[in-house]
Amino acid sequence: MLTDFTQLEAGTPVNGNDEVERNMVLVEKLAYSKGLSPEAISIMLEFAMSLRMGTSLCARVLKCLIPATLVPQEAVVRAVVWLSVGKIPVSTQILFIKWVLTVFDMIDAKDQLRAVYGFIFNFVTEENLCPFICHLLYLLTRKESVVSCSMLILFPQGRQPFLLSLLSLYKVFCPEMVMLSIPSRIKSGFRNHNMPWKSALIAVQKGAGPHVAAGISPASTTIKTNPRKRVWGFSKEAQTEPSSCGKVVPLVQLHSFAQLLENMHRIELPAQMGSLLGSSLALQYLDCVQDESALLRLNFWLGYALHEEFLFCGDRGASQNSQEALPFLDRLLSTQHFLQEGFSCSEAFLYKFLNVWDGSLLRPQILGLLSNIPVVPSAQIRQLLFEPLMQLFFTSSLFFKCGLMECLNNMLLKWLTWHSVYALEDDLDISLNSHTSINMTLSGFKDSVMELVDFVGRLASLGLQLEGCHSLLLSFVLDFYETVCDMFMKYGLPLVVMPPPGVFYPALFATDPVSVDRLAYIMHRYKVNFTSAKSQEELTKAFHISRQMVREFNHYIIVMVNCLWNSKMFQLDMGLSLGEDLLLKSKVPQYWASFDLVHHPAFMSYAVDFHHRDMDLNSIKVRGHF
Amino acid sequence: MTSRLPPRGNVTTSYAHSEKKRDGSTVPATSPSVRARVRGAERSSMAPLRPLSRLPGLNSANVLLVESEEQFQQRLADRLVEETTFTVNVRLAKSLPLPVENEESRPRIDLVVFIINLTSELSLQSAEASVKCLDHRYFLGKVSFMVTNARNVAAPGERLDAVRKLAASLHCALLFAEDQTPDGVTNATERLLTILKVAAGLVPMTTALYLSNLTRGTALRDIDQPSFD
Repeated sequence: MLTDFTQLEAGTPVNGNDEVERNMVLVEKLAYSKGLSPEAISIMLEFAMSLRMGTSLCARVLKCLIPATLVPQEAVVRAVVWLSVGKIPVSTQILFIKWVLTVFDMIDAKDQLRAVYGFIFNFVTEENLCPFICHLLYLLTRKESVVSCSMLILFPQGRQPFLLSLLSLYKVFCPEMVMLSIPSRIKSGFRNHNMPWKSALIAVQKGAGPHVAAGISPASTTIKTNPRKRVWGFSKEAQTEPSSCGKVVPLVQLHSFAQLLENMHRIELPAQMGSLLGSSLALQYLDCVQDESALLRLNFWLGYALHEEFLFCGDRGASQNSQEALPFLDRLLSTQHFLQEGFSCSEAFLYKFLNVWDGSLLRPQILGLLSNIPVVPSAQIRQLLFEPLMQLFFTSSLFFKCGLMECLNNMLLKWLTWHSVYALEDDLDISLNSHTSINMTLSGFKDSVMELVDFVGRLASLGLQLEGCHSLLLSFVLDFYETVCDMFMKYGLPLVVMPPPGVFYPALFATDPVSVDRLAYIMHRYKVNFTSAKSQEELTKAFHISRQMVREFNHYIIVMVNCLWNSKMFQLDMGLSLGEDLLLKSKVPQYWASFDLVHHPAFMSYAVDFHHRDMDLNSIKVRGHF
Repeated sequence: MTSRLPPRGNVTTSYAHSEKKRDGSTVPATSPSVRARVRGAERSSMAPLRPLSRLPGLNSANVLLVESEEQFQQRLADRLVEETTFTVNVRLAKSLPLPVENEESRPRIDLVVFIINLTSELSLQSAEASVKCLDHRYFLGKVSFMVTNARNVAAPGERLDAVRKLAASLHCALLFAEDQTPDGVTNATERLLTILKVAAGLVPMTTALYLSNLTRGTALRDIDQPSFD
């Protein structure tokens, strides 16, 4: 059947030609069910782009070109040559470029395409094709390609996002050739083009089996220790690989850390940057080498994938969404955990996502990603982070409140850990793993931490009130303050912040002994931190403790000791002042002792236990209101 | 583990006639649980819905769900009445104002929720028109907006901004809901119940106004370019 297409002569009429129609239908059926073989793709592409039977069939063929396994690059190169002949209508040209972008990862090798880089570059001048050509060039660009192209063509075109993305990649490779300044974050660089083929591609690949990489979910390279012969014969194998030209080693071919070290200086990164996410070897390489172009490309791909999956999704069924989405997010999370830092694109994505989040969709993953975001400057933290979180917190269930508390605790922990690792006296050089570097002074960092701690304090006080001092929420809140109380001793940050009364008093009067005990531990740690900070203040005179905080601490300690030990509750100046007549009206005998160690409701179980050991229950004289 | 108690609340639907309809036509009920039907063709009066016109019921709360497309509200209502710790009565409406005939039998409405589907312009316009028919005292924390399809590519950004502005200017909570999955509906129900309990006075030491101050948002939201320079 396919040979019929090769033999059709130019000028054969289309309309009313039943044989051609029948063959077309057969090809379409095959394409949508199993996908077309590489030879079939080659033949059909040639047939379409040469316009042997006019322009109407060309678009139709392009739409059904679903590859089963691979796309031969010769076919693509030939088709690109046909593009320049000039007879194909513009919309069909655009359709062709979109098709190339969709199946880009399935093209078996890219060296011939790179050879015609300059040829493709000339299409940039055409207004309609420009966005798509820029995207294609972005995927193909290497350092060698940049040098051979003329930059002047791009200048008058303006500052559209696709041009800026391409220019920023050029700037990374050859900074001396790009004169204009590129903004550090470019709004939505390249748009999604694979819509017409995406669903068909996914269907075909699902049918083919799990080993074929899907369009959007990245292929994961497996890490196995290979048999010895591979390791020995490796460099020879690399040199016989046609695409590597004996100089570079594609990263996908490395399978052990030893190989990585051997070939460190000549590694070639794959075109599909997302495939790096699953492989710890690749991540170690990226982390060590800090290759800006690679990070740029990875960031770009990641941001684009996150946007497409979660922010601008269509009306697809939700189950399909979560099946692909969940493993992708889990992999992203484990990558961030491995690298010990987040990606800037996931940060930008999160801020947008929080504004349309319902609080339960993919909650563990989103909260995990949220805890990885780097330090936010205090001027922006309220608008970007706190507002949407507040709206979600106060309208959601107890479990969301607890989850968010834990997330903010992890965020604080990561900020503090990062500070203790990177702090260089007064000036902190915060360079995230993107090409931007944020310089934040120690005071700026302290401001951000203060804002975060204040915010959580507020959430905690109000949340506990709304939930009736629920012990689960109280436990998560006390977790947070266990982190806060040790900021000076454990992480070297000269900052001490006391918990608000809305957290202290519910913990002190809690009905479970664990909360009271943890509160006592936290107060003990505060004391240790204060004394150590004070001694350091006398020595260096550089660190200034807030007098207000010391006063608050003293006040809390006095209340706590009076309440638990001295049986002197409800006295004046103790924070909780109830009028004496009111207390007498309550008919609680000896109300001043009602929350000491003997009578506290939280320790009731210990009191009963104590009596069980020595005497029987009948001999307990129950005093007061129990 | 625990057996499911039969729902204690009930769902009532009232249809508001638009001003154009003059002749009488009974509107058929869409589900067996509907108890009230609207008959007759009198022009609905423009008397706004008032929050304090009746006494509250014991351990119960009444919520009014207003949605011009009438799709999500039914599913939400079915889940809402399953609440067991207190009785939830749900009333459904397509738009405000509600017909005058039912005013006698209508209990005190504790919370009015406007459900807006971001992919339809009509939904937003209907909600904006209905908002004008509420007594101003409702806007002390007894109104909230629920938005569906916010992540859909078909929903233009300006519409979401308009909804945000509307909610911020009226000091109302803005909730997002995923109406495509049962989990999303469950979550939306939980969030509505959180606000409803406060609005009906069932949470000690918390009033609707207090909660609305905590959940109020601001209108401006330029997130696209967080510039750190």
